[in-house]
Amino acid sequence: METKKIVLSKREHKPLQVNPIKHSQPMGSALAFMGIKNCLPLMHGSQGCASYTKVFYTRHFNEPIALYNTSVSDITAILDGGDYSILMAIENITKKNTTLKPEIIGLHTTGLTETKGDDVRNVGMHVEIPYCYVNTPDYEGGMESGWALTAKALIDQHTKETTETKPNKLLILPHVSMQPIEIEKVKELCESFGFETYALPDLSTSLDGYLSEGQGKLGTGAISISDIQELGNSATVITIGTSMQIAVKALLKKNPNMTHIHFNHLMGQDTNDNFVATLMKIRQIEPKSLVKRWRGRLQDAMLDTHFLIGSSHFVITGEPDMCIGMTELLQSVGGTIDAVISTTYSPILEKINAQNVFVGDLEDAVVYFENTDLVISNFHAERLLHMQERNTGLVLRGFPNYEELGNQLKNDQLYEGSTYFLFEVANKLRGIKHHG
Amino acid sequence: MVNRAKIKELMNESACSHSKDKKPGAGCDMPKPGMATGGCAFDGAQISLFPYADAVHLVHGPQTCLGASWETRETLSSYKGRDHTVMGFTTGITTNDVIFGGDKRLADSIGYIVEHYNPEAIFVYSTCVTAMVGDDIDMTCKLGTQKYSIPVVPIHAPGFVGGKNLGSRIAGEEVLEHLIGTKEPEFTTPYDINLIGDYNVTGDMWQYLPLFEKIGIRVLSSLSGDGRVGNIRTAHRAKLNVIVCAKSLITLCRKMEEQYAIPWISVSFYGKRDTSFAIREIVKALGDKTLIEKAEQIIAQEEKKLEDELVPYRELFKGKKAVLNTGGNKAWSIASGLQDLGIEVVATSIRKSTADDIEKAREYLGESGILMKAPASEQSKVIDERKADILLAGGRSLYTAIKKKISFIDVNQEKKVSYGGYGGLLNLAEDLKYAFANPVFKNVAKKAPWEIA
Repeated sequence: METKKIVLSKREHKPLQVNPIKHSQPMGSALAFMGIKNCLPLMHGSQGCASYTKVFYTRHFNEPIALYNTSVSDITAILDGGDYSILMAIENITKKNTTLKPEIIGLHTTGLTETKGDDVRNVGMHVEIPYCYVNTPDYEGGMESGWALTAKALIDQHTKETTETKPNKLLILPHVSMQPIEIEKVKELCESFGFETYALPDLSTSLDGYLSEGQGKLGTGAISISDIQELGNSATVITIGTSMQIAVKALLKKNPNMTHIHFNHLMGQDTNDNFVATLMKIRQIEPKSLVKRWRGRLQDAMLDTHFLIGSSHFVITGEPDMCIGMTELLQSVGGTIDAVISTTYSPILEKINAQNVFVGDLEDAVVYFENTDLVISNFHAERLLHMQERNTGLVLRGFPNYEELGNQLKNDQLYEGSTYFLFEVANKLRGIKHHG
Repeated sequence: MVNRAKIKELMNESACSHSKDKKPGAGCDMPKPGMATGGCAFDGAQISLFPYADAVHLVHGPQTCLGASWETRETLSSYKGRDHTVMGFTTGITTNDVIFGGDKRLADSIGYIVEHYNPEAIFVYSTCVTAMVGDDIDMTCKLGTQKYSIPVVPIHAPGFVGGKNLGSRIAGEEVLEHLIGTKEPEFTTPYDINLIGDYNVTGDMWQYLPLFEKIGIRVLSSLSGDGRVGNIRTAHRAKLNVIVCAKSLITLCRKMEEQYAIPWISVSFYGKRDTSFAIREIVKALGDKTLIEKAEQIIAQEEKKLEDELVPYRELFKGKKAVLNTGGNKAWSIASGLQDLGIEVVATSIRKSTADDIEKAREYLGESGILMKAPASEQSKVIDERKADILLAGGRSLYTAIKKKISFIDVNQEKKVSYGGYGGLLNLAEDLKYAFANPVFKNVAKKAPWEIA
């Protein structure tokens, strides 16, 4: 295939996607609702929308998935304004399983129900359980924005307005590509500084690969609807990932006295130095000795891996907020990023300093695979790499990863996760470069 | 466009045993809000046609439809050209297309595919949004067919028209309308059959196709495991349609019988007895004496070979009892396989089975067998009462196995090896051997130090 330079643009460069990496807004929204305690994620669309999403996450996390749907039919698609199918769905689900006690209904739309223009906000008036609606047509945005819009909706619709702040209270707004263990690790660090820490959404206790009975019925996230109602008095809110800016805007409207601090990502030394410095400044204390220890380990890892990574070329594909973190970490030890292929447009892509940065699919990406040493991409890249002659390495990251196990426990964040990430990449490169 | 009359007709298939107990016109069940769990019509249509490796499958819709579905099924293909079954193509429509229509995008996409991938045919799947917006997919496909001289076939099975099963039926209809009878085969034999409804998942078909070859049965075309569009176009010249474990494509076979006088039979290739039975049914239907004799020879040879290979397993499985909790035809087909291995199947689920399936399950399990209507609540008791050694069920039943400290196989998990045909039985036996020996379920049932008083 010819190599034609594709520029970064909000407009598509071809009429279709071939081997897509982009995932839909409703899928991001469903995942976000799974990160809320006792939430009943309800997808408003045809039964297939939810079925596909369920299979997708079941295979990625290897866990039962709590996701329901309103099963819009051809008749309800035309005659119903959403009231019937949503209310009937809630009634049917709670009637069939009386032990199911949802504390919130997480309703999100799909392309189908947005096209027909259902008034999902109005339906909420008739629901007795607390209700949150999100408009997530799958012909707009992507997984990252669906997740962020859901955090925004939860805040908009449920967080109480206030002017007071609790000095020790901290809220983390993580982007969609952060896996359950990564959210846990970030929270743990903040807690070690003495913060009362929340994350929204919080997958650290949902889909985290924990053996317990009766899973897959309701969301088991670590934040409850009553926690969400009280988020307004957090003294500090930290966004991780540009996509979460829309959610924090909603929160600052609830309490203008809150302090907002933003990080594009938490991969590598520089950003984590800033992160830790921020926490130190607020709490006026030194970090725990283990945090310091991990910084030293990261520095050692950077030195140990710089030779291999520093002489290597990389292609990265995925959600924008994930791509920037990986790019900057690899570049901090001398890696050359040939191309970053993003699922959707985000302003953060403008800040990525690589030879090629654009929105595309794996048909576009594969052009760069032939001349690079290592690809960081989702599971779909595996077969494409098998088909090419050059032995290019692959580190699997992002959604979906259908084949590998334990995806929810891969940690790439903070000093600790960055250390492991560098070693994983370097070891893959060693296998490729030294053994042909 | 979506044809309501056709959907109604497909939902009232007279040859389907689902329809027997229903009032006239009641047909298949519409999805109930909140209760539907399976895939949609689009999903079913895609499953039925996707294995055509020489065609490109273009999904005209927003992101969810294809983004979460491509490269998820192990439908293997022996196609020597570029295998499109492991690729995903979607128009990925945006807000603009919803407002102004997506016809131009679709036409451009078809052009792009022809230029870059040069397939034998293109299937264009409509989805909820593009059906609702009213894109003229028929016209765009027709123009594409004329412009590029390859079949560009519209598949109108948007998700909201119903479930997976209906989608498969629709796919069958579209194939009948647009492809079957549009090409003549290079030659025919009196032993030409069409295989309908085997998608060659994990290479199931390859377990029995070599036997067909030895006997002299020729597969003229397949819908659609390891299939080629060029062959399905010639399907009208076959002598027999063989449906493999697929209720959904009965309509297609009935219509082909009406239009082309091709009789049809329904068979299964799970386990030894079913495989031998299926082969006998096929040669009997083809009605050639020498073919029947040849088939008997091959069956005898294969069964003998299999029996020898199964001896060590039978010894291992002696006295073992199994409880089976899975849906549809698996309720009896896997039971049959287990019995062939000498395992007693003490109970099976009939929660989602048709009248035919229930009858078959009773036949296989015998009078003492338990047919579970509500397996989720019944299976624990049944395991205790019958002292079962293994539970074969979906992932949600994992806890039952842990609690009862018995072995477990997730029958719904994506398989990597085939259980089909004679050879597949050995794969099943091998998996069972390891399952019985694995102590993991007993181990994870152990209490934590802080749980012990």
